[in-house]
Amino acid sequence: MADSDELIDELAKLALFADLDEPQLRAVAHIFEEAWYAADTRLLRQGIGGSGFYVILEGEVAVVIDGEERARLTRGDYFGEVAILLGERPVADVVAQGPLRVLHLAGQDLHSFLLTYPRVTYRVLVEQTRRLRNANRWRR
Amino acid sequence: MRGAIVASMALGTTEKAELLGHSELFEGAPPTALERLAERAGEQSFADGEYLVRQGQAGTGLWVIVSGGARVVRGSEELSRLGPGQFLGELAVIDQQPRLASVVAAGPTVALGLASWDLFAEVEKDPELAAAMLRGLAHRLRQVIGEAHH
Repeated sequence: MADSDELIDELAKLALFADLDEPQLRAVAHIFEEAWYAADTRLLRQGIGGSGFYVILEGEVAVVIDGEERARLTRGDYFGEVAILLGERPVADVVAQGPLRVLHLAGQDLHSFLLTYPRVTYRVLVEQTRRLRNANRWRR
Repeated sequence: MRGAIVASMALGTTEKAELLGHSELFEGAPPTALERLAERAGEQSFADGEYLVRQGQAGTGLWVIVSGGARVVRGSEELSRLGPGQFLGELAVIDQQPRLASVVAAGPTVALGLASWDLFAEVEKDPELAAAMLRGLAHRLRQVIGEAHH
């Protein structure tokens, strides 16, 4: 459990949680687990598994599909929600590019989290729309 | 006369909900949420050549064509045509990005519009709607990634 004041200050600066007030941020800090990973750790494995919703606090990850790097995600970015929402396996490897600090939420807790914080859900919705636009552009 | 035509075509909430429900965006949305969106959605008639959407302007809503049709144009190039039941602005209604193309009525056209702020108000009130939309987008994202790789 990670709910120090410093963590709450950190969360307040992330776009994903920008609409939350302090008690809500405190609750979020309580719901998520803070976790650290070494460089080269695979947090999600394409076609295999690894479940969870991750929000990056420090460090960077590579999103790799069929061995090809497709994107880099960094502080404030998040991943893992698509596989959870669809109940499917991840379509990408997500690999730490150096020491990584994240917030982690177990897959089965994501739905109730999103229902409790509709403004966070809306932020995720906007981000997914942006990703869909980018994916469409990439395909052409 | 145009007013009379529109009046005779005015849609009820149930019909509007059904039209909106055909958007992939609202697949799996609770029927009650669709009804509330339908109540906020409004019909508008466009004369031939009138703009539904202008290239470069921020998207502030989605439209579904009720009758008539529309041309999707970029500069002087026609990209596609839309007919009854087809949608425009399904992504723009969420992220309000500038439109990449204009949409112009081809003949007298009626469209049902849902404004971004009305959608946002409903999403805030009804997290199940937001969750359903999120699943819909996740599904589309997967399809796009899948197509790109196979």
